[in-house]
Amino acid sequence: MEAGYPGAANGAAADGNNGGTQAAAAPAIREQDRLMPIANVIRIMRRVLPAHAKISDDAKETIQECVSEYISFITGEANERCQREQRKTITAEDVLWAMSRLGFDDYVEPLSVYLHRYREFEGESRGVGVGVGVGAARGDHHHHHHHHVHAAGMSPMLKPRAQGSMATHHDMQMHAAMYGGAVPPPPQPPPHHHAFLMPPHHSQYAPYDMYGGEHGMAAYYGGMYAPGTGGNGGDGSGSSGSGGAGTPQTVNFDHQHPFGYK
Amino acid sequence: MRQARPYSAMFAGGVSARTGPHALPLARIKKIMKRSAGESSGVDGGGARMISGEAPVVFSKACELFIAELTRRAWAATLEGKRRTVHKEDVAAAVQNTDLFDFLVDVVMADDHDAMD
Repeated sequence: MEAGYPGAANGAAADGNNGGTQAAAAPAIREQDRLMPIANVIRIMRRVLPAHAKISDDAKETIQECVSEYISFITGEANERCQREQRKTITAEDVLWAMSRLGFDDYVEPLSVYLHRYREFEGESRGVGVGVGVGAARGDHHHHHHHHVHAAGMSPMLKPRAQGSMATHHDMQMHAAMYGGAVPPPPQPPPHHHAFLMPPHHSQYAPYDMYGGEHGMAAYYGGMYAPGTGGNGGDGSGSSGSGGAGTPQTVNFDHQHPFGYK
Repeated sequence: MRQARPYSAMFAGGVSARTGPHALPLARIKKIMKRSAGESSGVDGGGARMISGEAPVVFSKACELFIAELTRRAWAATLEGKRRTVHKEDVAAAVQNTDLFDFLVDVVMADDHDAMD
């Protein structure tokens, strides 16, 4: 469960913002790969602090370290579960399960809401031309897809959604059971670790293939860093917009996005 | 954490081209996940696991909650010391005072010797 990070010299100003060089992993773990961008971390910290509060650099960096440790901690637990159940893919549901296991129960509900909105949003913005209504396919498509493709599959988004990779089919079965799509509800209340509910949008998995692969991510978000350091009073991160070139696929940003949860 | 509407969020940095609507970059999260999943399952044939695209999405929000909570608790320690600058020691105090954060003890301690500034 320990992250086992090499005690890497964090000294080199942990400014994770050197543009979009996230593609090829260097043998040594680079600072900017191992930590969240400091500007983002600071931004989140600022939101909860009163305006007159100051944050020392070492505090920022410590929190930055803690975030990575947190991800590792949770992922480790989720990973063990997958291993036990002989599954190859760590799903969102595994992550939520791990959080509730490790004491972060309070996060589970807001995260489920967030995930739900993400699914809806993705369903709307990517679902164009993919299927009819977001809720329309909710029925039983997924039953046919228990053979699942690996998540890196990147199946073209124009496939009918029912054909998407079902890396998350574990969740889906669970949902089917809980929300009774075509399946009758379970006779017993679900065991504890299934207690958090994800909203019943079975139909919306396919579009996420987009996000399935590292490369997909890199292509999608990488290399188009915009200096999002808005209202931070210039804290850290002289980041500066490097790759101003790429216009992100507007489909994602034109939309009123449903994220800021509650 | 609250983002009233898309545009204000955009100015606050909530929506950037890099992270999309998420507060933290998903690719980075995924990388960290991969590393820890690879580590804990490496030897015994578990192999590196794949990570569903939604998992980093969950983490992007989770990390926000986490950072917010840790910061709030650190700030409480700052106030206790009648200061207005959050220092690393305050973060350490927050970790030590919170069972939930036990897993961070090594991080806030071990860092001491190679302190950055």
